[in-house]
Parts: sequence; C-alpha cells; structure tokens
Amino acid sequence: MKKIFSLQTLYFLIGIALLGGLWELISTLTKHEIPSPRATWLVFREVMQHPMQNDPDYKGIGTKLLSSLERVAIGFGLGSIVAVPLGLLVGSSKAMMGIINPIVQLLRPVSPLAWFPLGLAIFQDSHKASVFMIFICSLWPTLINAAFGASHIPQDHKNVSKAFGFSKWKYLTKILLPFSLPHIITGLRLSVGIAWMVIVAGEMLSGGIGLGYFVWDEGFNGGSIAKILVAIIIIGLVGLLLDKLFLFLQKRFTYAS
Amino acid sequence: MSAISLSPENHTETFHHHHAAPANGYATNSIEINDVSVRFKTPKGVFTAVKDISLAVGRGEIVSLIGHSGCGKSTLMNTISGMVKPSSGSVIANGNLVTKPGPDRGIVFQNYSLLPWLSVYQNIYQAIDAAIHGKTATEKKALVENNLKMVKLWEHKDKLPGQLSGGMKQRVAIARAFAINPSILLLDEPFGALDALTKSNLHVELLKLWNLDNREKTIVMVTHDIEEAIFLSDRVVVMNDGPAASIKAIVDVPLPRPRNKKEIVHDPVYMGIHDKLLGFLVDKLSINDL
Repeated sequence: MKKIFSLQTLYFLIGIALLGGLWELISTLTKHEIPSPRATWLVFREVMQHPMQNDPDYKGIGTKLLSSLERVAIGFGLGSIVAVPLGLLVGSSKAMMGIINPIVQLLRPVSPLAWFPLGLAIFQDSHKASVFMIFICSLWPTLINAAFGASHIPQDHKNVSKAFGFSKWKYLTKILLPFSLPHIITGLRLSVGIAWMVIVAGEMLSGGIGLGYFVWDEGFNGGSIAKILVAIIIIGLVGLLLDKLFLFLQKRFTYAS
Repeated sequence: MSAISLSPENHTETFHHHHAAPANGYATNSIEINDVSVRFKTPKGVFTAVKDISLAVGRGEIVSLIGHSGCGKSTLMNTISGMVKPSSGSVIANGNLVTKPGPDRGIVFQNYSLLPWLSVYQNIYQAIDAAIHGKTATEKKALVENNLKMVKLWEHKDKLPGQLSGGMKQRVAIARAFAINPSILLLDEPFGALDALTKSNLHVELLKLWNLDNREKTIVMVTHDIEEAIFLSDRVVVMNDGPAASIKAIVDVPLPRPRNKKEIVHDPVYMGIHDKLLGFLVDKLSINDL
C-alpha cells in the first residue's frame, strides 16, 4: 500500500489552512474592505475567463503574465550570458578577483529600481528600460556564485589535471565547468527570484503592460483589492514554479564523489 | 622494557644508506633522488618537510615508503611525480630531470581522485586522451577497454564514481594509472581507506598487473601498513618523523616471488622483517607513551 498522504503533505495543508484562516479573519476585521478568500476566488474566476485575450484596449491576465515573463527571460538571459563566464574568470584568477570584486560589492547593494531611470535615459523606451533593470539585477548572484564555484575546485581534481597533463580546454570542460555548475545554478536560481520580484515593481513604473501594471492599474486605480490579491497569488505561484525549476536543475547536476 | 630492546641503534648493522648509488641487483636505475630537501613557506616561517634525502630505485623494483602520518613520505613521492618541486637537490626519472608530471609516471592518489561527473569509462578515457599523444580515438578506446577488463570493471563502465564501492573506485584509479602505460607507478597510500579483505584482493591484483607487464614497471608506494609493505615490496624505506624527515633505515625484503599471502606470514624471514619494521615504527610511540 502506498501512502496517499505523507506527513509533509499534511504539514503543507495545515500551512495553507492557517494562511486561509488568517486571511478570513483579516477580511472580517476590516469589514470586507479586504475581500475574503471566497470573494477573491470569484474575482479570480472572472479574471481567468479570457486569460489570453490580446486586444489593443484589453489584455487578459495570461497575456500580461507572458509579457512579464518575456521581459524577465530576456533580461535574465542576457545577464546570465555575461555573469557566468565573468564569474568563472573571476573565480579562476586572483587578479580578476581583485579587479572585479570591488565593482560588484559597490553595485550589488543598489536597488534594481534605481537603474530604471538610467535605462530609460539610455534606451528612451520603458520596455527596454525594464529589461535593462532585470539584466543588471540578474548579474550579481550568478557572478558571485560562479566565482565561488570556480575558486573552490578541490585540490584532488586539480591534481588529476596536473598528473595527466590536461589541456586548458579539457580542464575547463571536464573539471572547472562540471564542478562549478551546481554553484552557477544556485546563482541563476537566486537571480531569477530577484528578477521576478523586480519586474512587478518595474512594470508599475513603466506602465502599459505586464502583471505589475495590472496590480497598479486594474487593482489599485480600478479600486479592486480582490484583483490585487489575485495578482499577488499568481505572482507567487509563478515565482514558486521558477524556483522549483532551478532547484530541479541544481539537484540534477550535483554529483556524489 | 620492550621499547628499549626495539630501539633502532640495535639494528644499525642491518640497514643500508643509499646515496643514489645503483640499487642493489638492478641493471639500471629508474629513479634517482639526489640530496632532495623540500621546504614550504608558511605564515609561521619556513617548514622543512624532508631534508637531504638520497635514494635510488632500480627498474622493475617495488619500493615502499613507510612512516608515521605527516612524516613527509607523500611529499618525497610527489617530488618523483613532479607535483612538488624540490627546494634543493634533484630527482631523475628514466634518465630525465623531473620538473613536472609526465606520462612516464602514473599516479594513484590516496582518495581515488576520480572526477565525479564522468563515468568510469570517461574517467579513464579523458586521462588517456590528455596524457597520450599520437594515438587515434579507436586506439585510445581500445586502451580503456583493455584496462577496465584487466581490473574486471568493464561491466561497470557506464557508472558514475559515486555509484561504486571504495575498492572499485581504487581499481578504476589503478586502471587509469596503468592505461597511460607509465614505466613508473607512484601509489600514495592507495589502499589506506579500504577494508582488510578488499585491500588483500587489491594487493594481489596489483601484483598481477605488474607480472603481466613482465615486472618492468617500477613501483613506489607510500603506506603506513607494515604487512602491505612487506608483501608487495623488494625494499622498505622507513622514514623518520618530520619535520625535516630523512631516511631512518632501508630494509630489504628477500622473499621469493610469487608470494603467497597465507603462507608468507609464517616464513621466518617475513617475521624477522616484520619485527624489525615494527621496532622502527613503534619505538618512538612507546617512548612517548611512557
């Protein structure tokens, strides 16, 4: 007999029930100023009626979600293309570490939103400015983790390379990259998490399209707190899925010695 | 006190100091270590690991370096492999001054040192591919197959190292070292992490591989296992405790080959060598314990 409910599932359900109960309580205390889970569910179904609608005057929630994901994908993709090789280089060379590390330490704490007006000034386009902002904030965790991986290659592996006379290319492809890969994926996982958080804020600034704009325009300006809650749930679920995807990759590329 | 009766002074007449003179009974020297010292710079100052060591190893000879942990025996061996550069003195291997690792010297590391993301097959293939030049891919593949079959791991060729037992991992590492067909094999405490049974089997397997090659490979092994050292070696080099370790004694093992593991332990010659080595190694320990 296979167990249908594991203890973990039970804990998960208790957690969800607690969240729902708290929500219900707040809703009651605010005299339904904050809509109840049930009221929110009704709005959710209404929002989900034509999710992929893509008319010039009205775009469905699915279309908005995809446009947010698209910006994240472009910004995050470009950021990773820069951050992974640069991080490996920084981790492999003391000189590069000395040169790049202060720059990273200086720029990393800057709120990604601070880059938005700069992007707007450079590109004269709010869509491109959002992508630019995602690009910048995707750099740091990936760069730092890739550098960490490359600088922590065990002496054993280096000895193999030395003893058998591995070429630079063989060292890169058979030792440096495979060893650093789980660290790189950790960096990507952190980066995509930040990118997803930042895009919503960015779209509130840029306006026009995306989930962030939905929250601001249809939720806050439209006076529908239920729509804000719906958006929060969708943003949360998508963020969770992205995280799980990278967690899966991380496990896939971690090897026992 | 037994500690006093076992003191090395009582055995002075029985050990030989080799100053890189040709090893006894061997036509040519495979390895010549000449006045080698190794010093490391540490934050606390200069640390001398080994000091003024000279030793010659004949072609086809099996020599064990034995001593307490941290006595510099691995450091000495690493000067032969080229992983460590002597601070003074020189090491000659196959007539050439050692400056870096080379395919004429195969190394089996203490902790297997397999690459965990490569299959058993790929671990050996990549080593061959890097070390051996001027062979086609087909020839290299044949080498992998031969060597994996020799250590009876061909059916495990697609597994990752993480899926193998310690003994199997070390057989892969041995196959990898043999695959590049070096004339000198350097083994750094190769069987230290294995259980007694697996260890015994691997001793026999190692000697089989050595026999297959007409006993032409020179083997230098670092160990702290007396039985292992006697069973495998032609000579056992006992090292003083570091820092600044040097050779304390060299003990010949004139037991005829092939040696039988079960019978050898009752041989009076074996027992004499065993006692002598135990005396060299345990002596210091028992004095400290008093």
